[in-house]
Amino acid sequence: MRLQQLNPSMKALTIVVLVLLLALVFDPITPLLYGLWTIAITLLFGQVNLKKYGLFLIPFFIIAFGMFWTTLVFGEKPVNPDDMVKVFGMTFARESLFTALSLGLRVLSFAMLSLLFILTTDPTRFILSLMQQCKLSPKLAYGILAGFRFLPMMREELKNIRAAHRIRGVGRANGWKESFVQFKRYSIPLLAGAIRKAERTAIAMESKGFTGDRNRSFYRSFATGKRDWIFLVVMIGMFVLIAFTSWSLGYFQWYNGEV
Amino acid sequence: MANWKLKEIVVMSVLSVVFAVVYLAFLPVGKLLVGFFGPIGYDLIFGIWFIVSIIAAYIIRKPGAAFLSETIAATVEVLLGSAVGPMLIISGMIQGVGAEAAFAATRWKNYTTKVLVLAGMGSAVTSFIWNFYLSGYAALSTGYVTAMFGVRLVSGALLAGILGKMISDGLAKTGVLSGFALGKEVRSQNNEAQQIS
Repeated sequence: MRLQQLNPSMKALTIVVLVLLLALVFDPITPLLYGLWTIAITLLFGQVNLKKYGLFLIPFFIIAFGMFWTTLVFGEKPVNPDDMVKVFGMTFARESLFTALSLGLRVLSFAMLSLLFILTTDPTRFILSLMQQCKLSPKLAYGILAGFRFLPMMREELKNIRAAHRIRGVGRANGWKESFVQFKRYSIPLLAGAIRKAERTAIAMESKGFTGDRNRSFYRSFATGKRDWIFLVVMIGMFVLIAFTSWSLGYFQWYNGEV
Repeated sequence: MANWKLKEIVVMSVLSVVFAVVYLAFLPVGKLLVGFFGPIGYDLIFGIWFIVSIIAAYIIRKPGAAFLSETIAATVEVLLGSAVGPMLIISGMIQGVGAEAAFAATRWKNYTTKVLVLAGMGSAVTSFIWNFYLSGYAALSTGYVTAMFGVRLVSGALLAGILGKMISDGLAKTGVLSGFALGKEVRSQNNEAQQIS
């Protein structure tokens, strides 16, 4: 089985459910173990390039670190301030350190779950599946796909606008005020061009008989099968198992209603 | 969506796609700020992530424009490879609801600067509640969380409300919006001005 073969909508649903579950946990062990499990699944069943995976993940270590130290410095006062641990020559309350680690690791485990999705899902298939499984309106779905196609064209257009400015002697911006003016000089023509093209596309769609009717036929049709449900159950089952392991080790911490 | 014209839907989708790219471009900026300042770094520029709601609603002026555009922008961000993942779609919906609520309160009739700013702040409120749960802000001290919320409100008002209005007005001046509510309003104002002079 490959992750690429799963129904894109069901895969997205599974990830969302897991993120919501992980957001309830406030101990470091559960997100750590679940993150490792996610990496294993992605690499084993996703046929993802290891180098690419690493490159995607690196920025999240920065966020995780930011989250970690903020929680450590600005966190709630611990209930047992006498229970101290020494790390790298500095002393922290054990409770604060654990919560901080937990929130940092949470960022990473979210990132790993997301990477599982985005590295194994084709954008067009996802939109088509959203239309067929999640009742996304065809008008919107094809509008989005059309917009998607505009992106390379807009890159081209940006090059043209820049060249047109240069040839008329408008150089690079210096300082805050000039950059703002330049931002306006680029963004307005770029957006105006996109809106014109969008209007023309809409007319073209209508002239070719596109009504946006939901009872339409599809060249590529998607369905949810047994393996989508197996994936959902296995992923949630593993969360329960890991939470249980953490609990039996005495680390588990659930959100306890403190604000 | 029955009273929407197809061209309005496609233009809204295209705007959402374009701003999805802008949103993605701001993620590394946010990450850098978070690395320096902690989670409050995101709040400084959070408003930029509400801007398409304001622009789409201000231009098209139909119920649902703010909500749908933000949701689409979030979906496209996921498709383009934002590592926040499918969760972002839910975040987009929640931000969209905040902005939509402000327009709904005027029964989708009033699109003055005040309402646009309120819509930006509306997104700030709903998105903050969501982040509070998702990022475990409950573990942070009340003072810090309050500061984050204040910064996000201001950011929503300025970067989404005011900047969104400026961009839309700039677009209206070029004439490409002549088939949309905002363009029609600008044209009728110009006509009145000419008649007076």
